[in-house]
Amino acid sequence: MKEKFKIALAQISCKCGDKTANIKKIQKLISKAKEQAADLVIFPELSLTGYVVRDQIYELAETIPGPSTKIIEGITRKTNMHVIFGMPELSEKTQAIVYNSAALVGPNGFIGKYRKMYLPTHSVFEEKRYFRPGYQTAVFDTKLGKIGLIICYDIFFPEVSRLARLAGAQLIVCISASPTVRKAFFEALTTARAIENTAFLAYVNLVGIEDGLQFWGGSRLIGPNGKILAQAKYDEEDFVTCDVDYTDIRPVETFVPTLKDLRPELFDKLKEAAENL
Amino acid sequence: MELAPSVLDLNWQEVKMKIIRFIKDYFERTRAKGIIVSLSGGIDSSTVAALSALAIGKGKVFGLMLPEKETYNAKDVKHAELIAKKFGLKKERIDITPTLEAFYNSIPIFDPADNLCKGNIKARTRMVYVYYYANRLNMLVCGSSDKSETMMGYFTKWGDVAADISPIMDLYKTQVRKLAYHIGIPKEIVEKPSSPALWPGQFAETELGIKYEQLDLVLYGLEHFMKAEEIAGQLGIGKGLVEKVKRRWLATEHKRRMLLTTKIEYRTVGADFRLPRNTP
Repeated sequence: MKEKFKIALAQISCKCGDKTANIKKIQKLISKAKEQAADLVIFPELSLTGYVVRDQIYELAETIPGPSTKIIEGITRKTNMHVIFGMPELSEKTQAIVYNSAALVGPNGFIGKYRKMYLPTHSVFEEKRYFRPGYQTAVFDTKLGKIGLIICYDIFFPEVSRLARLAGAQLIVCISASPTVRKAFFEALTTARAIENTAFLAYVNLVGIEDGLQFWGGSRLIGPNGKILAQAKYDEEDFVTCDVDYTDIRPVETFVPTLKDLRPELFDKLKEAAENL
Repeated sequence: MELAPSVLDLNWQEVKMKIIRFIKDYFERTRAKGIIVSLSGGIDSSTVAALSALAIGKGKVFGLMLPEKETYNAKDVKHAELIAKKFGLKKERIDITPTLEAFYNSIPIFDPADNLCKGNIKARTRMVYVYYYANRLNMLVCGSSDKSETMMGYFTKWGDVAADISPIMDLYKTQVRKLAYHIGIPKEIVEKPSSPALWPGQFAETELGIKYEQLDLVLYGLEHFMKAEEIAGQLGIGKGLVEKVKRRWLATEHKRRMLLTTKIEYRTVGADFRLPRNTP
């Protein structure tokens, strides 16, 4: 396992409903990441299809693994890269259950997937109308260490990234489709999740305008001490690379021992309180 | 939440850029050749025309001036010309009086004393001209409605509000004023009293019965789920006035939505056909 490697934050805009065009863009940027000696390249939430596809989601969703992940697998095998991207996932068991998922594909093919647990359905968001929530956290043991996946609104709920960290995640990856009005929230929360978990956190957000909704970009890599190690531009496509060095985790874990100081009994109280809101 | 005027403050450079990106993005997707704005010489259409020019370039924005005899105001025409010159718009001025008179004379039940019905003919006639130009020249229609008048239903259904995009519809009037200053709209245009100019002597604040400075804070409170008592208490105005604004806002929802039908079949236009715009 590599302790030190380079990751690329591929902050893209998508062509809504056009998987072929989006895969082409993804492929191009995997090559670019390879040229820049990156080992992992991360794309935003639902980057296979675009975020605002509404009822088209039923035609666009695919199983994971499925046709699109197979194409990405072909690319990662050839380039010896790891790739994380978002897509609508069709359940293998029914024709109309769709998940908002993240797929992790590596040099040896498909590694794993995560299904978004918290689906925003308020303001401009209508995710519960289309998606079933996931029920499992996802942490994968890879050649690049343990990688935990979360998606966008999950970050408002510290338990999702905390569970990933408790399962050993050294790098938490949050793929996102966050509109501009939420920028301040995400900037605070991405830093908070990195600090409270003493882990690296990579946040990759969408850009572009979909059905009037503007996405703000601002993708970033945050170190376990909360330091912003790389920051992509706001409001436009960008591609930034940055080194991750897991040996940076230990000094922070010692200095701010949040995991050592965890109080499990409080989670029981939290459960009780949440059940009686 | 405190309803101080500062709640309406935004980073105007960010707002400007957001709107410019929005106009440019939509324009490029549609492959239209330009943008047409009905240029009245007022603050809203001046701001939208200027932002359009900043978004897609001078010479691609067409300002159509459509004055008519009854409400003709030389100052408004001068202001429209000023904006066209300052932001490099193509322009054309057409006196729509003969068209309006043809309507008046051909409607058996026409009542010249009914200002509202007559005024709506003017707004809808302008819409016909603007859309003819848009069709003929392959241009997009950029609307000028702001959030205050949209929430109050203070517009003509299928008239002045008709457009392909409405870039300032999420900004209250007092916010549009600040944005207008920021992008260089002349003071004389920003500060003149707003008027839809559907009949002589018509002014928005008189008709709405409230100053925009106050109305915008009431609407902001309603937008943020505040109760009428709370808004009235904070602004030091009567609860009755807040309730009147609220009633008008709720009663005019029919003007802000399109194509109401009753559900009969599996998926219904305007209800549960939920499709994105600009599908490839």
